Amino acid sequence: MKDAQPNAIATMPAGTVSADRKSSPFMALLFILSAMAAGLVLSPLLYLLSSALKPGALQAISVPTVVTLAGKTLALATLATVWAMVLALPLAWLVIRTDVPGRSLFRWLGVIPLAIPSYIAALTYIALLGPVGTVNSWLTALTGVHGQWVNIYGYWGGIFVLGLVTYPYIFLLVCGALESTNPAVEETARSLGEGRLGVFRRITLPMLRPSILAGGLLVFLYAMSDFGSLSLLRVHVFTTEIYHQLNTRFDQSASAMLSFVLVLITIAVLLGQRVLLNRGSYVTVTGTARVARPIPLGRWRWPGFALACSILGLSVFIPLAVLLSQAGSAGQLAEVFGEQWGFLKNSLGLASATALAAVLIGLVVAQTGRRIKPAGSGIPGIVQLGYAIPGTVLGLSLILLYNTYAPWLYGTVALLIVAYLIRFLTQAVQGVDAALAGINPHLEEAARSLAATPSRVLRQVLAPLLRPTLFGVCALVFISTMKELDATLLLRPAGFDTLPVRVYIHTVEAEYAKAAALSLMLIGFTALPWLVVTRLREKKLI
Amino acid sequence: MRSGLNIIIFRVLPVLGILLLGFVWLAPAFLAHAAAGSLVIYSGRKEKAIKPVVEAFTKLTGIPVDLKVGKTSGLANEIRMEKSTPRGDLFISTEGGIMEILAKEGLFDPYQSPKTKAVPGDFKSTSGMWTGISGRARIILYNKNLVREKDVPRSVFDLTKPQWKGKLAIAGTRERTTLAWVSTLVAEKGEAFTRDYLKGLHANGLKILADNTEVWQGVGRGEFAIGLTNSPNYYLAKKNGLPVGVAYPDQGPSDIGTPISPNAAAVIKGAANRDAAHRFIDFVLSPDGQRILVTADYEIPIIPGMDPGEVLPAKAIKTPKTSEERLAELAEPTLKLLAGLSPDW
Repeated sequence: MKDAQPNAIATMPAGTVSADRKSSPFMALLFILSAMAAGLVLSPLLYLLSSALKPGALQAISVPTVVTLAGKTLALATLATVWAMVLALPLAWLVIRTDVPGRSLFRWLGVIPLAIPSYIAALTYIALLGPVGTVNSWLTALTGVHGQWVNIYGYWGGIFVLGLVTYPYIFLLVCGALESTNPAVEETARSLGEGRLGVFRRITLPMLRPSILAGGLLVFLYAMSDFGSLSLLRVHVFTTEIYHQLNTRFDQSASAMLSFVLVLITIAVLLGQRVLLNRGSYVTVTGTARVARPIPLGRWRWPGFALACSILGLSVFIPLAVLLSQAGSAGQLAEVFGEQWGFLKNSLGLASATALAAVLIGLVVAQTGRRIKPAGSGIPGIVQLGYAIPGTVLGLSLILLYNTYAPWLYGTVALLIVAYLIRFLTQAVQGVDAALAGINPHLEEAARSLAATPSRVLRQVLAPLLRPTLFGVCALVFISTMKELDATLLLRPAGFDTLPVRVYIHTVEAEYAKAAALSLMLIGFTALPWLVVTRLREKKLI
Repeated sequence: MRSGLNIIIFRVLPVLGILLLGFVWLAPAFLAHAAAGSLVIYSGRKEKAIKPVVEAFTKLTGIPVDLKVGKTSGLANEIRMEKSTPRGDLFISTEGGIMEILAKEGLFDPYQSPKTKAVPGDFKSTSGMWTGISGRARIILYNKNLVREKDVPRSVFDLTKPQWKGKLAIAGTRERTTLAWVSTLVAEKGEAFTRDYLKGLHANGLKILADNTEVWQGVGRGEFAIGLTNSPNYYLAKKNGLPVGVAYPDQGPSDIGTPISPNAAAVIKGAANRDAAHRFIDFVLSPDGQRILVTADYEIPIIPGMDPGEVLPAKAIKTPKTSEERLAELAEPTLKLLAGLSPDW
């Protein structure tokens, strides 16, 4: 897309566009496909509900315990989201809107934390900041005082690590929004005498709100459903209690009941996000967006650079450095790479298939939610509920469901893809929906009124505007799938391991050098497609 | 309406067609089940411990094996969920009580290997549903830099003494061996005594960790002076160059002894490869199989007379006489007891 002269610069509140379009077979197909996606997600949920309602589910665990756990979990997720915003927003603003040195490199690196599984990040920080970690031994050597100066274990450690690995969700979407909002609006406001801060508060922030909310939601839900890092950091929350009920007490109803509470909380959060989003949103009327002229930072350039470096230091450089130091020599690293090539292939195949499917389904579902009203408006919400089911619970639900009703699918790789889709469709739907929110429905209307067919609208109007988002969403789902561990552990066919499963096995068996080498391999290949996509986009090749 | 139809014919159908072709092309790969004729083993024992045995078995018999390694409890749950259409042939667990629980749920087929006779009665099912394949003793692991030789506790009941305050670690009940240990205390000493003892440990700042790996690593690195864990972890820590020592607690004439938990194997009911599963059990109990278990993971050989190498053999350890059936019965009450003390168990 070349920079074009803005021909009609305006933003306007996006009202609901009349949906009284004649229903076409195209729309019907859209609806049917979306309903199928909703069914895919609903089936394990209904199963959960049925086991949660069995008598005795509330015997094993008291109501006050559930309430306390819910409070702790919600507080943890909220604080992790705030921490992620603190990391993401300044970084996004620096790399998109200012002339901070190294901005394009920072933009690249800002995504890497997503490729670092939370359990690996937790392990590296335990090695560093644990009671007998590197930092404590340095401080002891330095001061001569033996003691625990820092201790990563516990609630605050959990928040710290979760924020570090999830802030790119916000960073990515906000970067995209900052790039695609028309800078002319801000410039006009400036020329009309509004100050920098005023422009930010009254123009930039409202335009960024959908992206911040969408990214924040992903962080929040991630923090609520994370098991790996929280269990390693000895934090007692919903997911760890569910795991305990399920795997120690073999109490399916108690774990189903707890999982269902988690799903209810997710429903509340999704509804809350919707209310916030509807409270006034803004769309750009023109189809082309010009890139904003970077704000010169002047003497703040190097402090800005230092800030970006420290954010990336905490989230990327430090974990990678710890892993590199654990992995041993380059020769050992190469040996592990060669030995584990087959598992990498498994992971890559699964993640690519899942990412492609998720983008297609996400597009269909988001479009159904926006254009088929009222019948379709609930579907995106339903599809997003899968994100709340903890991986272990989802895995066991799917075993029971599919082994009973579709035994030909169970024990195959295809079932893994089903599980990944249930877990990660949220990301696709959120991403596509946020992008659609930024496109004026009148643009589509106008095209339709000029007799463009729905598919032509999709191809010639929506696709070019959505393309960056679609590639982004594809990469996001790819990344999440590459890292998935909990459900994979249960659903993988015997003899079929993925990279995270290998990392898990070697970690449990205390072969840390191997686990670290594999982690590096996993992180590298998880990040790679994203880096390629960004590079191609920068070169305007896609 | 016409335009809608055109879209379906010219745009949607080709896309669907391509997707369908792609699916047909990829389906065999995606839908492939484990190769027919492969023995499917669900192992709660570590890969490092079981894989050498599996490889030797395949080499000897030519039977290929698909191995799924996980936590004993997670795999047990999987077998329970798969009851209607079993996928695994053989289950290998790290503890006997869980075998009794699954056997009671009708998930196993009995099998008496010719070698099972040699397995001591404590380490096999009375109804032939499962058999022990090796053992692990409950031990006190200590860090040699933090605990002097003469201070090493000789009894688990000494750990409530003030000198150990803030220095103790144990894995939570996610490790079935922890549960078995507490259940043994309940069986030997009574529930009230056990509750008071555990309260004493909590008052002494006992740290409850996620698994035994964390325990031996924590002790080895000096985060804790003392850990309650299983015997192979001592040898493992030592092999990793960590400064650890071991005490087999409560060995005096009037003491209760320390339990040995069997690693156990059972044939899953409805297994597609039952004969191969039987042959695997035969192999594990053979001198070759036992030797591999001992050398690969420092497990205690279960067939008497086997050379235990550097591992302390079963006959040198005084053990309480609590049956695995009793442990299975006690599992639920013990979990309730622990939940009443701390949510961390």
